Amino acid sequence: MASKSENWDLKATKQLFQEYLNRNLKEQKNKKILPVETVEIDDLNKTQALKRIREFIDSIIEKIYKDGRPSIFLPSRTTGNIIWDEENDLLLLGKQIMEKQFHSLASVADITRVMKVLEKVNELLLKDLHATKREIFYSAVTLFGDQKNSDKCIEDVASMLYTTRNSTHIVASAKGSCVGRLRIRDRNDIIDLEGLGGGGWTISPMLDNVEIIESDAEFILVIEKDAAMMRLAEARFWRKYPCILLTAQGVGNVAVRMFLKRLSKELNLPVFSLVDSDPYGHYIHSIYLRGSKRLSYESPFLATPNIKLLGVLTRDLDKYKIPNSARIPMNKQDIKRTTDLLNEDFVKKNKEWEQDLKLAVKLKIKAEIQAFSSHGFEFLTDRYLPEKLTTGDWI
Amino acid sequence: MRIFHKKDGGIVQLVGKDEIKEWPVELPLIFIEYIRKNKLPTYNDKTIEKEIEKYLDEILTEIAIPRMISVLDGEDETEIETVLERIDELAKKKLDLVKPIKSYIEKLDKKSNKKDISKACGSILSTFIKEENKKKLADKRKIMRQIEQEFLQGKISDKEYSKARKEYLIMKE
Repeated sequence: MASKSENWDLKATKQLFQEYLNRNLKEQKNKKILPVETVEIDDLNKTQALKRIREFIDSIIEKIYKDGRPSIFLPSRTTGNIIWDEENDLLLLGKQIMEKQFHSLASVADITRVMKVLEKVNELLLKDLHATKREIFYSAVTLFGDQKNSDKCIEDVASMLYTTRNSTHIVASAKGSCVGRLRIRDRNDIIDLEGLGGGGWTISPMLDNVEIIESDAEFILVIEKDAAMMRLAEARFWRKYPCILLTAQGVGNVAVRMFLKRLSKELNLPVFSLVDSDPYGHYIHSIYLRGSKRLSYESPFLATPNIKLLGVLTRDLDKYKIPNSARIPMNKQDIKRTTDLLNEDFVKKNKEWEQDLKLAVKLKIKAEIQAFSSHGFEFLTDRYLPEKLTTGDWI
Repeated sequence: MRIFHKKDGGIVQLVGKDEIKEWPVELPLIFIEYIRKNKLPTYNDKTIEKEIEKYLDEILTEIAIPRMISVLDGEDETEIETVLERIDELAKKKLDLVKPIKSYIEKLDKKSNKKDISKACGSILSTFIKEENKKKLADKRKIMRQIEQEFLQGKISDKEYSKARKEYLIMKE
């Protein structure tokens, strides 16, 4: 089905890139304004983060001197306090505040754990080191008991300091990889992401050491699966179509999402996602698009609201004549998940997306990216992606 | 990011000067060399190459060199050694670019008691001396050609010619 003589000029993608560049020139003057009913989170450097910790501790000491009953206040991260900002298409944290008292028996263990994490954060910042969540857990196993407790305290500390988790130097493990037309610096090393073979660069969780220094890419493609990434890397897709490829092998962790956000913001590139045509694939796209509920306080630093769903769309299955043998019937769980997605405000707002999900529920079918292999291994790289990027067939 | 437009509609983006100002002192030079050597030849567009060359020169004169001067004037000997190493490499490739630093190197050479710093200063200054000698020799060669013509026309004596020739050969050696 793929024809080698076809010449795709990526017209629609280039137009979108030009639009972004023009828009950015205008927007540079106007800072993004978040709704007043949401809390503002700052991305801090080491010095700023240390200063914020000192101010926080000072406020506790002040309270001890004043009434002898210290407590900490932090934004509530319950579902009721998560707000969808329609204008910026982000999930944000509302202004509900909760109090944790030092003298209460109910919260004393929790407070001790939070203060232990705060102590570790202070140490990491002073020494300019980074630690994983697992390392934080092992720094006081008896106190935390379970990693779930230390993970929760890490999020508490970041939110009570009104900053991102990365600013606390507690990072996720390296998970995703990136390859293509991009040069970065990691401290004093210049890394060429075109010259690292098909495996690419493992996205560093220590992103405060990473800076984009050069790129001649025209778009970014986020790929759900490693296998599809391998196909594109093997075809050296970025040589013919100037792009940056990125995968998180599933849902993007903090480092991957933050790196994507930075690429999109600094380079003004159009971003597309290539996920399986199933509810989980669409969910992955939604996490990149507007952030996760759990980390809603960090959404402005993690979400990429201009990401487009390039595929695989349900409507693509007929359009590209995917044989029945490569289509998978949806089970009850799939249908429930798709229906749940259809109830989300951000899906309702996007009519094309809503239509495609409704079509999936109607046909009760799903398919993986690999389904295109039924037309040959090169179909994905030589026909499907170039055609969609040329014609603008995305959501 | 600084944006450069290619004739074929493509775009090249390079990190902006404000970000470079925050880098470790030797890094702007590494960046300039990296882009010149590895990226410029790949853009296949003479116009953009010229524009980027100009931008890199601006980074060199506005950021890299002034920051190096401030290090050379400072007290941190490890940092001074690192910077001298970079200047030495650059002097051997494109001496004109490091000319503004020459007087600072001479001052440092006189001031410093540290062997490694004196050695690095000596290496850079010897590159300047070699360059100056090359220029003097080129000037002398010009004069020598004129003297040869005048000698052949009988305008100067064999004694005058052999004296000039001797001076030229000494300089050449």
